[in-house]
Order: sequence, then structure tokens, then C-alpha cells
Amino acid sequence: MKIIIYEDEKWSNLTPLSYLKSVFELRCGFSSLFEKINSILPDYQKGFWVRDYIKKLIEKKFSLPVNNTSFFEDDLLLVNGRWLAIEGEIKEDEEKVAVSGQDIVYAIVKKENVNKLFDGNFEEFLKRIKENIKNIEEKRLVINYPWDLMHHNPEAIKKDFEKLNRRGIKGNFSDKASIVGNENDVYIEEGAKIHPFVVLDTSKGPVYIEKEVEIFPFARIEGPCYIGEDTQIMPGANIREGNSFGPVCRVGGEVEESIFHSYSNKYHDGFIGHSYIGEFVNLGGLTTNSDLKNDYSNVTVYLNGKPVDTGLLKVGSFIGDHTKTSIGTLFNTGTVAGIMCNITAAGILPKYFPSFCWFINGKYMKGLGIEKAIETAKIVMGRRDRELLPEEEEVIRKVYEMTSEERREYARKSRKT
Amino acid sequence: MEDKEIYERVVKVISEVLGVDKEKIKPESRFVEDLGAESVQSLELVAAFENEFDIEMEEEAALEVKTVGKAVEFIKQYLK
Repeated sequence: MKIIIYEDEKWSNLTPLSYLKSVFELRCGFSSLFEKINSILPDYQKGFWVRDYIKKLIEKKFSLPVNNTSFFEDDLLLVNGRWLAIEGEIKEDEEKVAVSGQDIVYAIVKKENVNKLFDGNFEEFLKRIKENIKNIEEKRLVINYPWDLMHHNPEAIKKDFEKLNRRGIKGNFSDKASIVGNENDVYIEEGAKIHPFVVLDTSKGPVYIEKEVEIFPFARIEGPCYIGEDTQIMPGANIREGNSFGPVCRVGGEVEESIFHSYSNKYHDGFIGHSYIGEFVNLGGLTTNSDLKNDYSNVTVYLNGKPVDTGLLKVGSFIGDHTKTSIGTLFNTGTVAGIMCNITAAGILPKYFPSFCWFINGKYMKGLGIEKAIETAKIVMGRRDRELLPEEEEVIRKVYEMTSEERREYARKSRKT
Repeated sequence: MEDKEIYERVVKVISEVLGVDKEKIKPESRFVEDLGAESVQSLELVAAFENEFDIEMEEEAALEVKTVGKAVEFIKQYLK
């Protein structure tokens, strides 16, 4: 048997977060969706199936076969890359398609059916196995929209903490710092440094701190919370419940039920709540998002240009990789900002920003162009000892093309107002 | 459109966006060094020229234009 972890056509529901990465690299709880799936996979040869334009990048990042049709000469275990695998297991009992609602969670397909149903078109193959092989309903969490990640984050942190079952203080914990609640719900990895007058509050959930994390004085961290390697929590930060910060982030001000993917900065004061902040994002001082409407109605989010009712009362912002905001930026409830945007304050802002756009004095502009965007990305990444891979650059250029018409349209309309 | 009219409208836009007196704007004036345009203002200038002349310019090429005189020549291409 061989294993394929795949993206289906719903990857576009997860834009802008998924523009520069696969859906299974998105984070929830302690880790990415891939890491969670990988922890429950049986020991067979693994590969991926992803949209064409990120194929080379995924090959480079994971050193595993991607979109390799030779996998289709064997029995297959197909696993949806949008599965948030914080509970449940893969039962290898029979040929079947395990579904949760409309989504395939995973499927076991025998070689004979693989031969019969795969003709080179992967999306068609998924449809065919669902139609032709026994469907078994297995209630699982599948990520359909960006807000699902932040919505399930507190639960995912708790589950990941239980699963890893690491407890205690190995790092440097000042004798003037405090734990409120159950001390057994804290893990501080070796190399982490917790300064005096920091409070870790485990009343509502565990706090897990990775190596090289530094938490400066007067910060208050409420569980459930996960703080990734080499992340810094700035002095006086108010880290409310349900946050995950990936590696190498700088976080200050007030943050609630949010995910910072990695390498992103919110150094200064300002509130971010119920949001997903991509990679290499920089939020200027006092950048704040609303996450609750004053009439307490469901928050609507624009996805691929269309409004979608999230069914949730609290939804903040979804900020694509490499986007930057100016000081004093005020995001409306349920805002989507694409990748590599440059957004400046102008009162309460509109709810959607096409990728690569610049928003200046209340108007959308097309930006400085792709060459300048890439040059800036290289500088930003270099500051954190990261190199922009040629494969990543290729993906950025592709997304620039893909989003060009939308960006021009917004700039055109904006010019005429 | 006559060259003189294009030039006058270009000067009007520059004066409005950068807050520079029209008299100080010459064909040889450089946007950054002489007229003090920041990168954000360069983008605002491109948008304002597009609005003034009802054209759509290729942004990277437009941002390469360094002087007022060259801007007039650049805009003329789109008016043909």
C-alpha cells in the first residue's frame, strides 16, 4: 500500500492563507495539519497530491514524491490534507471511503479499483471513488474555511497537549514569575526563558512553551496556549485564551484565539482576535481588528470575491503571507487581506484586500510590482536567516499573475470614487 | 490631445498629489530628488495620472519614470 496526502479543489476556500503553501501546512494547535495526519499514518511509502503550481515547492520542502502517478499502481490510502486529525484513527479494515459530511476524510482503495477509476485526473478520481466504493460516515473535523482553523484552535491545543503529555519546567523560569491554576498543565522546554512578573494562567487550559522562547516581564499568558520555538512575547503582552504562535514570531499587545503561522510580528500594542496571521506578516503598532459586530449577528467573510456567512459571532482577520500594515490600522470584522499587501490606516477599512495591493489614503492601488515585492520578501526573510527559495519565488510570481485582474479591478473602481 | 495640454494636466496632478507649487515643477524635475516623492506618493501619482487621463498604465514601467518630462512622454503612449 502507498499513502497519498492530497489537496482537493477546496484549497481555494483557504485562500489567501493557502496561496503560497499547501492546505496541509496550515497550522492549528501545536502543529500543521500534515504533522497531525502524519502522526497517525501507518508505515507505508508516502507522497502528496497538490495543485500544479506548488508541486515543485512541496517537493523541495518535504523531499517526498508529489503528483507521482506511479503511486497509482498499488493499493492506496488517500488522506485529505484538510483533515484536522486531533481525534480518531485510520482503520485499515476494508476498502472504503470514510466521509464526514460532504468531505472525504480518508479512503482505502484496492489496486483493482485504483486501476479502474484513475485516468490521470485526480479530482475525477476522488469523485469516482466516492461514487463507487462503500462510504462510511466517520465524524471528523475537516477544515473547510480559514475561520475553522482559529475556531478549533483552543480544542486542538488541549488535544495536542494531552497527546504529547509533556509537563514540567525545564527552561529558565524566574522565581518571580507565577503559575495560576494547575502547575501540571504547564510545559516549558529547555532553553526557554520566562522573565520575572510573567503570569501563566492554566485555569482554562494548558500552556506549552517551546525552546528558545522568551517571555518578557509583565506578560500574562492564558491557556490554552502554544508558543513555538524562538518566539518572543513582548513586555506587558496580554495573551488571552486559545492562541497558537508558530516559530519565530514577535507578539505584543492583546491577542485572543488566534494563530500566528510563523515568522510574523505584532511587536506593539493593539488587539488581534479570532484571526489567522500568515507567515512573514508585519502588523504595525496599534494594528487592531474587530472580531464581533455591534449587532451580534454572524460575521460574513469575503472569499474569492463572494460573501460567505461564517455562522460565527466572533471572527477577526485572515492575513496572507508577507502582508504589512501601517501604524494604527483598524481592520473590520471578518477581513481578508491577500498576500504581500501593504495596508495603511484610513479609519475602519474595507473587508477585502486583493493580494499584492497597496491601500493608501483609503484607495486601492496596484502596488510597486512583482520585482519590488520579491526584493522586499528577500530582505524580510534574510533578517530571520531565511532564504527565498527559487521554487517559492516561482509560486509568488504565479499568484501575482493569478490575482492580477482582481487587483486591477479594485484599483480601477477605487480610482473612480 | 496637444502636448501642452498634457504637460499642464501632468503638472496640475503633481502639484495636487505632492503639494508642490506648479511654478516649481519643470520638465527636468525629478520626482524623488527634486519634488520629494516618497514610494507611497509615487503610487498615488500613478493612480492620479490614470484618473486624470482615464488610462491604465503598466505599474512597474510607470514607476520607472523619473522626471516630469518623461512622465508626459510615457502618458502620451497611452493616449494614442
